[in-house]
Amino acid sequence: MAKEFSYLNMKREYSYIGKSLKRTDILDKVTGRGKFAADLKFSNMLYGKLIRSTEAHARIIKIDTSEAEKLPGVRAIITAKDVPSIKYGLSPARYDENIFCIDKVRYYGDKIGAICAVDEETLYKALKLIKVEYEVLPAVFTPAEAAKPDAPQIFEEYPGNINTEIHLEFGDVEKAKQEAYYIRTDRLQGQRTLHGFIEPHCSIAYWEGKRVTIHSAHQSAHYLQHHIARIFDMKEGDVRVVLPYIGGGFGGKVDISGLDIAAVALSKITGQPVKMFYDLEEVWYNGRARHGMDMKYTTGVTKEGKILFVENETILDGGAYTGLGVASAYYAGALLTVLYDFDNYRFDAYRYVTNLPPCGAQRGHGQPHPRYAFESHLDHIAEDLGMDPIEIRLINARKANTVTPNGYEVKSYYLKEANEMARDASGWKDKKGKLPVGRGIGVGNGGFVTGAGYCMYRTDLPHSVAMIKIYDDGTHAIVYTNAVDIGQGSDTVLTQMAAQAMGYPYEDITICTRDTDLSTLDFGAYASRQTLMAGWAVKRAGEDVKRKILAQAAEMLKVKEDGGYRFGKLTPEELDCEEGIVFVKQEPAVNITFAEVARAYFVKHGVLIGRGYYHPGKLGGTHKGAAVGTSPAYSSATQVAEVEVDMETGLTKVVGTWDVHDSGFVVNPQLLHGQVHGAFSMGIGETIWEKVVFDEKGKVLNGNFAEYRLPTALDMPYVESLVLDTFEPNGPWGVKEVGEGATTPTLGCVANAVYDAIGVRISELPLTPEKIWRALKEKEAKEKGGK
Amino acid sequence: MYLPDFEYFTPDSVEEACQLLSKYGPKAMAIAGGTDIVVKMKKEVLAPEILVSIGHLPELKKIEYVPGKGVVIGAGVTHNEVQNSKILQEKYLSVCEAAHQMANNQVRNLGTIGGNISNAVPSADMPPILIALDTTVKIVGSKKERTLPLEDVFKGPNQTVLEHDELITEFVIPDGSFTGSTYLKFGLRASGALAVVGVAASVQMDGGVIKDARIVLGAVSPVPLRAKEAENLLKGKQASEELFEEAGVIASGECRPISDIRASAEYRRDMVRVFTRRALLKAVNEGHV
Ligand SMILES: Cc1cc2nc3c(=O)[nH]c(=O)nc-3n(C[C@H](O)[C@H](O)[C@H](O)COP(=O)(O)OP(=O)(O)OC[C@H]3O[C@@H](n4cnc5c(N)ncnc54)[C@H](O)[C@@H]3O)c2cc1C
Repeated sequence: MAKEFSYLNMKREYSYIGKSLKRTDILDKVTGRGKFAADLKFSNMLYGKLIRSTEAHARIIKIDTSEAEKLPGVRAIITAKDVPSIKYGLSPARYDENIFCIDKVRYYGDKIGAICAVDEETLYKALKLIKVEYEVLPAVFTPAEAAKPDAPQIFEEYPGNINTEIHLEFGDVEKAKQEAYYIRTDRLQGQRTLHGFIEPHCSIAYWEGKRVTIHSAHQSAHYLQHHIARIFDMKEGDVRVVLPYIGGGFGGKVDISGLDIAAVALSKITGQPVKMFYDLEEVWYNGRARHGMDMKYTTGVTKEGKILFVENETILDGGAYTGLGVASAYYAGALLTVLYDFDNYRFDAYRYVTNLPPCGAQRGHGQPHPRYAFESHLDHIAEDLGMDPIEIRLINARKANTVTPNGYEVKSYYLKEANEMARDASGWKDKKGKLPVGRGIGVGNGGFVTGAGYCMYRTDLPHSVAMIKIYDDGTHAIVYTNAVDIGQGSDTVLTQMAAQAMGYPYEDITICTRDTDLSTLDFGAYASRQTLMAGWAVKRAGEDVKRKILAQAAEMLKVKEDGGYRFGKLTPEELDCEEGIVFVKQEPAVNITFAEVARAYFVKHGVLIGRGYYHPGKLGGTHKGAAVGTSPAYSSATQVAEVEVDMETGLTKVVGTWDVHDSGFVVNPQLLHGQVHGAFSMGIGETIWEKVVFDEKGKVLNGNFAEYRLPTALDMPYVESLVLDTFEPNGPWGVKEVGEGATTPTLGCVANAVYDAIGVRISELPLTPEKIWRALKEKEAKEKGGK
Repeated sequence: MYLPDFEYFTPDSVEEACQLLSKYGPKAMAIAGGTDIVVKMKKEVLAPEILVSIGHLPELKKIEYVPGKGVVIGAGVTHNEVQNSKILQEKYLSVCEAAHQMANNQVRNLGTIGGNISNAVPSADMPPILIALDTTVKIVGSKKERTLPLEDVFKGPNQTVLEHDELITEFVIPDGSFTGSTYLKFGLRASGALAVVGVAASVQMDGGVIKDARIVLGAVSPVPLRAKEAENLLKGKQASEELFEEAGVIASGECRPISDIRASAEYRRDMVRVFTRRALLKAVNEGHV
């Protein structure tokens, strides 16, 4: 067993981190000056769209583009025959998507081809002239339909429509069953949702000789570069990816979109820049959001409520292709063992393909639904045992410096303390069990990986690389990293870290990101990895600069003789640099500016550059699929929600929310609180309102923000965001994630609060007013019948 | 989505607008705030070749009180102008509140009361409260002018009695004897949600006795619906919560809701019961709110 060591209460004061410094992009964003992909224009640029299927499952008999081709201004129309027939995806084991459908379409909205024209007007007119003839095949829209023995087969490679099947067991579940004092099973369903970012995907490509440049609304410059190179059989060095400002991603801009590929192909054919874009509604078809899940949990506990075993059976509705979906399936089971400390665990999962738009990652990848289901289940167990819900969580919370049964090494982990703090902040003891009918309070736990332990494809590349260049005269620094700021503020946080590492003013640093030609490798914004992984690379690059500065300064500084030093005799170890001043540690009055030293270095050696990189090394877990869930560090969080339910209409109003995050050292508190507010907004929306709805043909019925209801500012409750003072030894300065982890407890805690308010468990999200109304009616009828 | 080409006219008067509409026939349509029509054009539900702008016309922009007549509201008044009108706030705060519950701030800044009525969507928020207050509508065409009770303007979803050269120019809420009125909108989030059910109620109280009452239901029939049986139940009776509940039950029997992606018919019916009771309670106890 690891040695007991606490990473609590290790707070330190720094000049540039641990502070809510102004965002680097703030003026660009509030003035509207900042450019997003849709804002970009290039001379001679053409406008393109995908030709999308209007059947859910059908063989393509004929694509007639002749009328559209006759329309003046149409420049190119391409289909499967015009592009490589290579298959792609995100995980090599399941490359199952063609650039354009070759023989059949697999969902309403599937990619049949692409078209570009001189302007948008011509483009839309031409699209209408394209005629596709189909032989319609029977379609399946739910895992239950897909699983039937005589169900139509969507892919040859997935017999029974099973796309991913997982069977894992750790410890001895059967034996634990014999020992359990109480065993309970619950089955709950989470719905298909959408991220709800405001910026639809957009991609612009143009060729210069053998090289192609792509400007795209994407979460990872590197994966886009890698996959474009692979699909078009090019060298990675011949593909330049530039990411402008990104209007939100939440996981929906990680998959390679059909737009990127089509833009590259069309601009090659036409010799002109091509801008491909989705209208907002098309994002519902191509957004790759959260899987619908059907989750069954069986848990055995001791008399005291200690968990002995958990059996988890999860069925995922994958939609038509895989993309990131295989990881979603593994994530659905991987992290329960991190949250709670128990030895015996079985996880069985089936991800089915269906004739609906493909699902992928959405904030908290694969976690929020399982957290919702298990946190609901755990509340029932506590209730059955006569325990307080927080009490059962305190007993089972994982502790720091432990290893999960599935092999993950957990260093800092303070879930117990998070529960206690949330309990006290929310006034739990005065509320739980004491609120009037229609008012309720609930708790939920969650957390997430701080970066995935492995690249999505097999490689030995470092996960993040950074470089810092100091201007010739030392008055400015440029930080290079392809970490992707999708709004979460990584540019700001990494600039703060660079300032701290170098001891150089934050205001004098510019960050150069999101350009594979100009900046340095990073895998991008997914799995909550930027602060830790790019943070390490930037910290090391900054320290490299500082090392060179101190060495140079040692030659330049002189101290009084009675101080024991002489001119030119100082060693770098005797010096430090903070806020742009290099000084003698024992005698800070003896100092020189960073800029002067940097200039002297430049005169002597040429450009002053610092370099840093990060690779997580080999991490815990040896079972099949261990790569999904293993991470250098795990965050934990507790949330409490208080709700008021109108017992006549079923309308839920969330009145108060509390979040306590065990997030390691917090580089920028304001940005952390922003993530927590956003997480509540997203999580509350998913608990009460949101669900993607289809008609019987697989067409989206609520593909707009009027009918797909995200919470508005007016729907937001009181939010209290609290931070535990923790330190993660595997993170630079002790950092861990907050971005995705904060969404994972919300669904469970709000659902538990609703249960507390109304006394009935609704087993399927979202908890719409009508569902609550119906459940209350049924309860009333039952109670009457019982009498 | 792409807005198709159209010609655009900005006439100087209602008269000129009507003449343009008459001259070009059904291929021309009026546009006020554009918050309905532009959406439909983008979705290709409508494809007018000509748009005649009326939102800018000063004669449609007034809100005034004419003694002996009532409150006159020009058709080109936006929802935010209704909401912020001193005259309406003093006399019929309920109308301001109805406007305030609509859509979101951006849409309320553009969308007009005339457009809301002419568009004739079953879930529209302004018709119930205006009908509850016995509002009349002035309709001006290229050849004639007429005044109708607002209640008689609607024929069905997206259908009114207006001819293609006719415009609504003003609404009059007559000086009446109603002592209280309110509109309760039940939408699925705090802002930017259409009504699942909307209930307006107006009452004329004589001490504790209801002399007259109107109940107007939105989003539960093809046109805004008076729950007349429920109204009749109330007349002459002593106000009480039990009575309002009974009125709610009757109103829920009178409505003709459909099931759609927002709610089932069954749920809407029950919400009519709940909100009829709540609306009556509010109108009786709190005045025009
Ligand atoms: C995001 C969003 C949310 C919305 N939410 C709501 C809501 O909560 N509740 C609600 O009731 N509505 C809602 N609406 C609908 C719309 O905003 C309102 O109906 C608005 O009042 C329409 O007015 P307008 O001036 O914009 O109409 P326009 O779009 O200009 O016109 C609508 C129709 O009326 C005709 N017309 C306009 N003025 C006149 C006139 N004076 N005489 C004759 N015909 C006329 C036009 O020819 C057109 O056919 C919403 C719309 C949007 C886009």
